[in-house]
Amino acid sequence: MKALFNHLKFSRILIGDWILFFAALLLVIFLFKTYWHVESATKLQIRQGDKIYSTLSLNQSRTLLIHGPLGDTKISIQNGQVRFVSSPCRNQYCVHQGWLRHSGQVAICLPNQISLELLGADKPFDSLNY
Amino acid sequence: MLAILLMSCGREPLVQTQSYVFGTLVDISIYGESDAKAHQAINHVLENFQQLHHQLHAWKPDSELSQLNQSFAVGNTPVKVTPELSKMLIEASELSRQSDGLFNPALGHLINAWGFQRDEFTPVEINDADIQKWVKAQPVMSDIVIKNEMVYSRNPAVKLDLGGYAKGYALDQAAKILRDQDIKNALVNIGGNIIAVGKHGDKPWRVGIHHPRLAKPMATLELLDGWAVGTSGDYQRYFELNGRRYCHILDPHAGYPAQGTQAVTVLIPPGKNAGVMSDVASKPIFISGENAKAEAAKKMNVAFYLIVSAQGKLTASEGMSKRLNWLIKNPDVKVLPD
Repeated sequence: MKALFNHLKFSRILIGDWILFFAALLLVIFLFKTYWHVESATKLQIRQGDKIYSTLSLNQSRTLLIHGPLGDTKISIQNGQVRFVSSPCRNQYCVHQGWLRHSGQVAICLPNQISLELLGADKPFDSLNY
Repeated sequence: MLAILLMSCGREPLVQTQSYVFGTLVDISIYGESDAKAHQAINHVLENFQQLHHQLHAWKPDSELSQLNQSFAVGNTPVKVTPELSKMLIEASELSRQSDGLFNPALGHLINAWGFQRDEFTPVEINDADIQKWVKAQPVMSDIVIKNEMVYSRNPAVKLDLGGYAKGYALDQAAKILRDQDIKNALVNIGGNIIAVGKHGDKPWRVGIHHPRLAKPMATLELLDGWAVGTSGDYQRYFELNGRRYCHILDPHAGYPAQGTQAVTVLIPPGKNAGVMSDVASKPIFISGENAKAEAAKKMNVAFYLIVSAQGKLTASEGMSKRLNWLIKNPDVKVLPD
């Protein structure tokens, strides 16, 4: 025990310690920025036409094919985000919307009648004006 | 009592439905009613929308509007229209006059030349000769003569397209139907235009305003009983050709899509046509040049407006600025005194 105490007392902080320290710091910052987001959504609601197709957790990796009037729309859920991957519509506005991650975010494919909405405890509004 | 019972179950007495009618997404929320009553009222509203959609469809040949357009094209024999369409045309003509012709529902041929009379907007080959032909023919609402529900046009180039009016009209109808059905609290959203009836429980209804370039809202505002909000934007209906964006809002003088604006949002106080105004009034502001926008708003009696310029610069009237809760960090908003 005494030997260990002496060792600690006399050891100097070496370059390796600094590297470890900064690596840990970077990791903390990274984790903080990635996961500590108050408005991050936890659930995804997919609508197909006028029906709710499914309400899913965002905490999964999954690809879905949803059928609409024009054909199949591909949706991907990954790391708390969701996006339209491909759609049979011509405009491709839905695909261009990219990843959605915060509650209240909405992406709609009007031609194929499929919409994605991220739900969260703190959705800041009842309906979206666009 | 029922509301209290429902609340005690821990579930909010909120019925929300989403449907595709009017060629767009219709979103109706009803608060504080039984599911059965709410759904019944919603069905009434949706039936009305469906009927309006068939009546006012701008490019399906069997709609009442298309048949009127066909008679305009071949001569000036008066045609009998329904009292409802007659009233709409009178109101649309009056608003067109008020906007100095910037809101011009007589431009159907020009809108068609740009490929916007379709369900999808794929790039069209821009045919300048065709565009100039329709600009020179100067179809305007004052060419239309309406008397005792008999209608004709003095100009065969007039082709009505109520795309900038019908959703707003439908909102006013929806609010009326819901109130007639004794619904106290509802929020109706037709393709982005929204009208509020009552409140969301003990709080006002709250709407998000979409960011014109990002897939998220940029601000929220409280929509009190009877108020309506509408946005004209270049981000929902447009096509891109050679790196340039062509939106569906056409400048009637140039014959080309209005440039220089990403979005204009107007907030309309309660009135008998708040829905119509939320649809119509944003257009003249959108089309006007940067220095003429405030004047255009004044002409349309719009006190609450928000403008996003082509460069993304934000301008708001003082009244609007006070009502907005920004979701973007440190927004740089130029506030225009009322």
